Amino acid sequence: MKEYFRLQSKILNRKFIDFGLPLLVAYTLLPILFVWFSNFLFAKTEFAGYVYPIIALGPILRMSEPKRNDFLKTVFSRQDYFKLRLVENLICCIPFLAFLIYQRLLIIAMVLLLLAILMARFNMDTKTNFTIPTPFGKKPFEFTVGFRKTFLAFAIAYLLTFISIMVHNFNLGGFSLILVVLVCFSYYSKPENVYYVWNFSTSSKTFLFGKITTCLTNFTLLGLPIVIALSIFFIENVNILIGFAFMCYAYLTAIVLAKYSAYPDEMNLPQAILLAMCLMFPPILIGVIPFFYSKSVKNLNPILHDSN
Amino acid sequence: MIRIENLSKSFGQKKVLDCIDIEFNNGKVYGIVGENGVGKTTLFRCISGLETYEGNISSDVDNLKDTLGFLATEPFFFSKITGKEYIRFLVNARQVKLTNIEDKNIFDLPLNQYISTYSTGMKKKLALTAILLQENKVFVLDEPFNGVDIQSNLLITEIIKKLRELGKTAIISSHIFSTLAETCDEIFLMKSGRILKKVDRKDFADLEAEMKEFSIGNQIAKLELK
Repeated sequence: MKEYFRLQSKILNRKFIDFGLPLLVAYTLLPILFVWFSNFLFAKTEFAGYVYPIIALGPILRMSEPKRNDFLKTVFSRQDYFKLRLVENLICCIPFLAFLIYQRLLIIAMVLLLLAILMARFNMDTKTNFTIPTPFGKKPFEFTVGFRKTFLAFAIAYLLTFISIMVHNFNLGGFSLILVVLVCFSYYSKPENVYYVWNFSTSSKTFLFGKITTCLTNFTLLGLPIVIALSIFFIENVNILIGFAFMCYAYLTAIVLAKYSAYPDEMNLPQAILLAMCLMFPPILIGVIPFFYSKSVKNLNPILHDSN
Repeated sequence: MIRIENLSKSFGQKKVLDCIDIEFNNGKVYGIVGENGVGKTTLFRCISGLETYEGNISSDVDNLKDTLGFLATEPFFFSKITGKEYIRFLVNARQVKLTNIEDKNIFDLPLNQYISTYSTGMKKKLALTAILLQENKVFVLDEPFNGVDIQSNLLITEIIKKLRELGKTAIISSHIFSTLAETCDEIFLMKSGRILKKVDRKDFADLEAEMKEFSIGNQIAKLELK
């Protein structure tokens, strides 16, 4: 079992290095970012206590993937397997537990701990014959796949919008829209297999234009109910909302282009830094979007055999 | 028509393809045979434009890649995507209008189910269906018969024959010699990244015998099975 965790830490270190982060920087930055994000979340919404465990359960759910666990079962004895799953789940939720305790949300911390322990006993069976319906089936794949993986996040976002209207808290409504954008962001975090780009008989520019249009259209479909509901119930903030929606479009354009600016590799440090700078100072987007665009065209040209 | 001249490809120090010259004509089916790791897949990836290379690959169509259907040995699939959505994605990518996918489901695949629930053979059949519906002129099929049931094997054989009839070019690799012998007009034998020989249909039987002799030889005796 020791060897397993040694291997996992090696894999994690390699991921950091591939991402372009020296290990010392990574292990310094990670706790700082975690505390910053947690503080940010708790400062922005009073419902952070409920959102926080859901975020914590994300990686635990990923570790419940049956294929991975079936492999572990073939390697370890039954007892070691459960020990291993339990330790893994605890490692993942300890930072979240610590912050919840710091926030004196002891009951939520207990529930999270209990769920982490319970989930060590179960696999999330993804190999089901039931196909989750999606409104994006006609234009695969990012939103088709993403929606099926994250539809619960949209249910939470719409629920938060409803709560924000009930308790007349515009900020919470705004947060629900941020949640939708962040989820859509995640659809573009990994590069697809080159085969799926190679198949397109279009120029790089048309390809990128198509990707951006699909992304913005589908985001509109998901975000519009929130925008409409908030516009009706917070009419005094409609200008902020429209401005915010346009910012979302700009960020989504940037993330699509950031993905292809590193393609066929995964996005790494330069893209992450630029995106983080854009989040902190949005006007930078005016320069970053064309920069990502030209890099994307350059990367896609050899794959799409586009000589322009 | 595809003409390959002086094609070489290296991965680091390892030369995988070494000065390959071949010509593939329209309306013909070609087989590529050779041991594992001899460079067949790399050759296919070069023809498809998925790898950079030294040398020249030219064709009588403007942008070969846009009229070429490539079936990989182990096709890649996204999770949480149905068979129908996969076909739609690949067909849309080539701007082909397809109205009723179900009618073209010749392998009777459960198109509304996630591909992750498919068996290896079903995945192969799905990938093949998708590239057939892309209306390509050239087909590069890397092990199309692998993992596929006997009935589908027969169907794929007939599909390849039909492609020839339609004047399309098909380049196939397979470790099942009988399927190649039935479908191909010419077979190229590869060894160490080179084309060792080109064999016409009339000499297929000799090639098979030669390969058998070369592959089996006294290899089994080395095991000293008791």
